[in-house]
Amino acid sequence: MILIQIALNALALGAAYALVAIGFVLVLNATTAVNFAHGEGVVAGGFAAVALAVILPPGIGIPGFLLLPGVLVATAILGLLIGALAYLPIRNRPPVTVFVTTIAVGIIIANGLNATFGAAPRTAPPLIGVGSIEFLGASISRQSLAIIAIAGALITGLALLLQRTQLGRQFRACAQDPEMARALGIRLTRITMISFALGTAFAGAAGLLLAHQFFISPSDGGILILKAYIAVVIGGWGSLRGATAGAMLIAIFEVGVATLWSQPLAEGLLYVAVLLVLFVRPQGMFGEPQQVRA
Amino acid sequence: MPTLPSLPLLPKLLRHILALAAGTFAVFVFPLNAQAEPLRVPVLVPITGFLSLEGTSQGNGAELALSGSEIDFSVTDTATAPEIAINAFERAVDAANVIAVVAPMLGTQMLALVPLADEFGIPLITVSGTAKITELGSPNVFRFFPGDVVVKAAQARYAVEERGAKRPAILSQTTAYGQSGRAELEANLIGLGVPPVFQEALDISVKDMLPALLKVQQSGADALLLHLHAGPTALVIRHARALGLDIPIIAGSAMHQPETAALLEPDELNGVCAESGSSPVSEDWLGIRNFVDAYRRAYDREPDAFALGQYDGVKMILAAVEAGARTADQVRTYLQTERHTGLAMTYKSDGKGNMAHSAVIICYDGTDQAPQVVKRYDNLTGVL
Repeated sequence: MILIQIALNALALGAAYALVAIGFVLVLNATTAVNFAHGEGVVAGGFAAVALAVILPPGIGIPGFLLLPGVLVATAILGLLIGALAYLPIRNRPPVTVFVTTIAVGIIIANGLNATFGAAPRTAPPLIGVGSIEFLGASISRQSLAIIAIAGALITGLALLLQRTQLGRQFRACAQDPEMARALGIRLTRITMISFALGTAFAGAAGLLLAHQFFISPSDGGILILKAYIAVVIGGWGSLRGATAGAMLIAIFEVGVATLWSQPLAEGLLYVAVLLVLFVRPQGMFGEPQQVRA
Repeated sequence: MPTLPSLPLLPKLLRHILALAAGTFAVFVFPLNAQAEPLRVPVLVPITGFLSLEGTSQGNGAELALSGSEIDFSVTDTATAPEIAINAFERAVDAANVIAVVAPMLGTQMLALVPLADEFGIPLITVSGTAKITELGSPNVFRFFPGDVVVKAAQARYAVEERGAKRPAILSQTTAYGQSGRAELEANLIGLGVPPVFQEALDISVKDMLPALLKVQQSGADALLLHLHAGPTALVIRHARALGLDIPIIAGSAMHQPETAALLEPDELNGVCAESGSSPVSEDWLGIRNFVDAYRRAYDREPDAFALGQYDGVKMILAAVEAGARTADQVRTYLQTERHTGLAMTYKSDGKGNMAHSAVIICYDGTDQAPQVVKRYDNLTGVL
């Protein structure tokens, strides 16, 4: 019973983290640089859900997942702004310049959210209602099930986009060899901006999923970008599959290992695992051996 | 016919007149200029970062007390890093006539500022709950919120004496605040003959409380005592209710804050209690009602005990000024020796700078998000 609860909680948390990590990789593949404002994209999504929730009639119990389209649109627009402000003007400069500009934009977003919504943690409406259901003697949160379902649908949708559409082929071409892609007539700037929009939209979706069960506050972005970075390091730099696996591993440590031992020990062991990956298999679990790590 | 003085006499006469005028100017004008320099109380509080909720309350309380007074003040954000607080302090005390500083309630920042306060001889007025800040032997720290020694005693006594806890569990934060409170809580429970059956410290970034709560459940605990910041407190309560963990939860001061209660549904709050120095929104008498109304008008939000404690602390500085204090030394002496009747309670230093010696327990009844005061513990240290 406890194992089922732990597994489902880890799966739910891992699914949300996977959305964050996947969005991070989408931008990474398009720009070869790290978007340090990505954590603030998650936070912005959570607050977009908080803001949009006022349009839901109170007391009627309309599910919060109905806010998903609005959150996706709002954070996609935010992604375009991040790309336009923090990347396009300096895209021919060294990647470290993008670090600085995206950090700056992230701070602006965090302080803007603080000024608009205040410093307090906020909660969004529950995705499909509160409470839990009994399954094999375990009490399973409806929220956890909803997080798994929605994240799964989004990840599946992205996989179909990348594998079955012309746009997806262009994404993959740009990630593999931007210069060749440009030579073949693919508009690199367009793909880059779509990557920012899509990546930040995924981050925003994660914000919506996390905001009820785990709350959201303007200062959460730093921790979330760190989790995305760790997931990508473990899973493989530039690998979407690896990012998902890395995110799940983080959740297993945060939920499973923390239940077995303690939270501080679980966090320490997670970073030991990161170091081991870097020493033994630096390209990550699913990464290619010859990668430029920004 | 009168004639003008001769040329050699005119400069001498003019020199005398000018000297007389200059002397008059020096006697009357310079003291006026010196008196025109206002007394200053800089307000340094964490407005951003993980303690931003509490820090904003602290800043609002100080600002409300200082507004309209003769004291010049400005509010500076110290975020979360000690070095930011140090830089802010050094910039603040660079101005003339600083008689006291409202210091950040974040324990790690306070610990960094205490040596500086001693070096500059500036009293620090704070609502930080971290026990250690008044254990460093500094004459310049004045805490206007009951320290862990007081509130953790109230929390432990309420859990054991009122709720009948025999197997309590403790969840605390890994921050300095969390560690100091946990130690006091454990000591109080042991002193009451009820040692905790389970304890765990949680990082401020932990979102999923299931691992800790499962272990609380497995320990057979019959009460859960929390010493966490606002967000984690609400997370524990939400996840405990989702897990079906139905034991009494007696939380730390963070739970009294209206913003923390607003994160939870009324039925999630049912049976949740918390310790605090006060609960302004729960009180009915005129002085508190006026404070609450003024706070709501000024900030469009509900005040909490941190705002009220800081308000009372600043009011005591103003009382010192009214009594004739004009320097940091005079303000310090006043704070060390005098008693002050504030809105939350009566304050008096215990010799170490702990000014507040009473606590309340508030509980939510599950019908709304406004708590009621169910128990008062006055003068727990015997100082008053």
